Amino acid sequence: MSIRESTAASVRRVAIFASTTARPTTERERERRRIAIMCLPFFALATVAGFVPLAMLVRMSVAADAIWIEGWSLDAWRTLLTEPTYRRVAWNTVWFVGLATVVSVVLGVAVAHALEKYDLPFERVVVAAVSFPIALPGIIVAILVIAMLGRQGLVTNAIAAVTGTSAIDLASATAITGLFLGYVYSLVPRATMVLRGTYAEVNTQAEEAARSLGASRWETFYHVTLPEIRPGIAAATILTFRSGLAIFGTVLLLQSHYVVTLQIQREISVGTYRPDVAAAIGLVYVVFIVAFTFVGLRFVRTDTVTL
Amino acid sequence: MSEVTLESLTKRYGDELAVDGIDLTIRDGEILGIVGPSGCGKTTTLRTIAGFETPTRGRVRFDGVDVTHVPPEERHVGLVFQSYALFDTMTVRENVAFGLKMRDVPQRERRERAGALLEMLDIATLADRRPTTLSGGQQQRVGLARALAIEPHVLLLDEPMTGLDAALKTRLQTEIRDLLADLGVTAIYVTHDQEEAMAMCDRIAVLNAGTVEQVGTPSAIYRRPANAFVANFIGNSTLLTGVAADGRVDLGFAELEVAAATNGTVTVAVRPEAFEFEREGPISAEVSSATYLGDRTQLTATLPDETTVALHADAAETYRTGETVSLSIDDTSVHVLE
Repeated sequence: MSIRESTAASVRRVAIFASTTARPTTERERERRRIAIMCLPFFALATVAGFVPLAMLVRMSVAADAIWIEGWSLDAWRTLLTEPTYRRVAWNTVWFVGLATVVSVVLGVAVAHALEKYDLPFERVVVAAVSFPIALPGIIVAILVIAMLGRQGLVTNAIAAVTGTSAIDLASATAITGLFLGYVYSLVPRATMVLRGTYAEVNTQAEEAARSLGASRWETFYHVTLPEIRPGIAAATILTFRSGLAIFGTVLLLQSHYVVTLQIQREISVGTYRPDVAAAIGLVYVVFIVAFTFVGLRFVRTDTVTL
Repeated sequence: MSEVTLESLTKRYGDELAVDGIDLTIRDGEILGIVGPSGCGKTTTLRTIAGFETPTRGRVRFDGVDVTHVPPEERHVGLVFQSYALFDTMTVRENVAFGLKMRDVPQRERRERAGALLEMLDIATLADRRPTTLSGGQQQRVGLARALAIEPHVLLLDEPMTGLDAALKTRLQTEIRDLLADLGVTAIYVTHDQEEAMAMCDRIAVLNAGTVEQVGTPSAIYRRPANAFVANFIGNSTLLTGVAADGRVDLGFAELEVAAATNGTVTVAVRPEAFEFEREGPISAEVSSATYLGDRTQLTATLPDETTVALHADAAETYRTGETVSLSIDDTSVHVLE
């Protein structure tokens, strides 16, 4: 079959597919139409709010005039690749969010274990307390950190009173530790919610079998539970890392560590206004997130967890 | 292997009494069946013996040693579950060797012992497979090998045949019973299937509402049920009321030559096979339903006093609803309840 014939056959198949979806006669075709009707609104929205703006970002990043989007230039990309600041921001972002992710997932495993394995008193209150930071804007999280660890902070002044040290010296809200605390507080609920779903699938009788065979609680967790929740841990890691990369409000207020979101904000601030560089950073960010998700999904059994 | 003793075992969850003062001894090397309806406390009893439940009152002893508060991992108990509960992330061999690994048995010895058990259970060729790739029967053999690998004081089997097809169930029953007998394992076999319990167990304990109604050999439980509950739960019985006097029981429509402990009104348990079909028997009954079961036809019939009885009839004969049949009762096959 020639290329022309093959193309014509493909076009014919697509046309038939579209036609039968629009006017179904079999149950399979009716099912396809239902799926199309359910998904079309989202894809319309995604096109307007996602795909088209993304194409605009690509164009902006190679525009000679990024404001009016005119002409062609690779200056933004050259800047991104050659100026050490951007490499530093990239590294800052990866290690800081990576570490916050690891700590959040470890805490999430512990909380999910407690919630799913034991009959806790006031379980609903515990679930509400664990999950509510998801609904908190990042800027509020930053304010909470200042309220606890700032110069007038509750914890700062309590430690100062006990140790006799100056509260000013102790204040860590706007140090990297304060920011880290804010990140972890925001991310733990995300990890926990994914892991709770995974824990619900864990075979409790297999755990009991392990204990009857002589395994301690820790050995049971290590040999039986952990391998079972590994896909959930992978899923929680992907979700938490992606969420951590997107945190903006907290880092905007605390400003103790330059990460990608803060850098984008700097690039579009009055004074340093460079929308082409901001667009290039945004594209690198999107490509990185997509690639990371695809790689991460190799470790996730999609029948046990969803992202 | 050990003798297991339950002393006044009681387990309460809030206001709910799951096990109510059970006293029971499982002899060394014996297979004891625990049967009863759903919610009667059989699984709670098993979990208490395994150490996953702490009794509200009473004690569990292995060979006289009080293990009531010993954690499960130190009890040396083998568990076989209905759901198999295998470790899906390990191979069959790793599953079987797991208990030995937890006991720090050297790897070479672990491998040898696991291999021997897999041979014994006829699944040696599956050693390197994952449990999820096996059939239900194969998985249950792995579960049994895994539990036996630690040479447990007692083997606890919680409805291990439920979910298997009838032919496989029958084959496994024979194999497991013979294997446990050969190894001399003390085993407690929980099931809701009384036929399975009769096929597998040396003795059976019938539980109801957290208490033991009767303990005995399968034939004793079947032939001499202690009360109406056991008579109805183990097999099928018709309970007839009669008046006992001088070694006879008058049922109103027939008289039986059976000895009762006391004179006066008594309840007599009559198994379906105790009714004999006669050309001209002393009892007339009207067939109210007939179900063909292949090896027999199961009838329900109404006696002159409106009592409904269960009958087993020759499968070669045809019975129609409304037909009158003539019956007698085999005196030696009935039992007067105390």
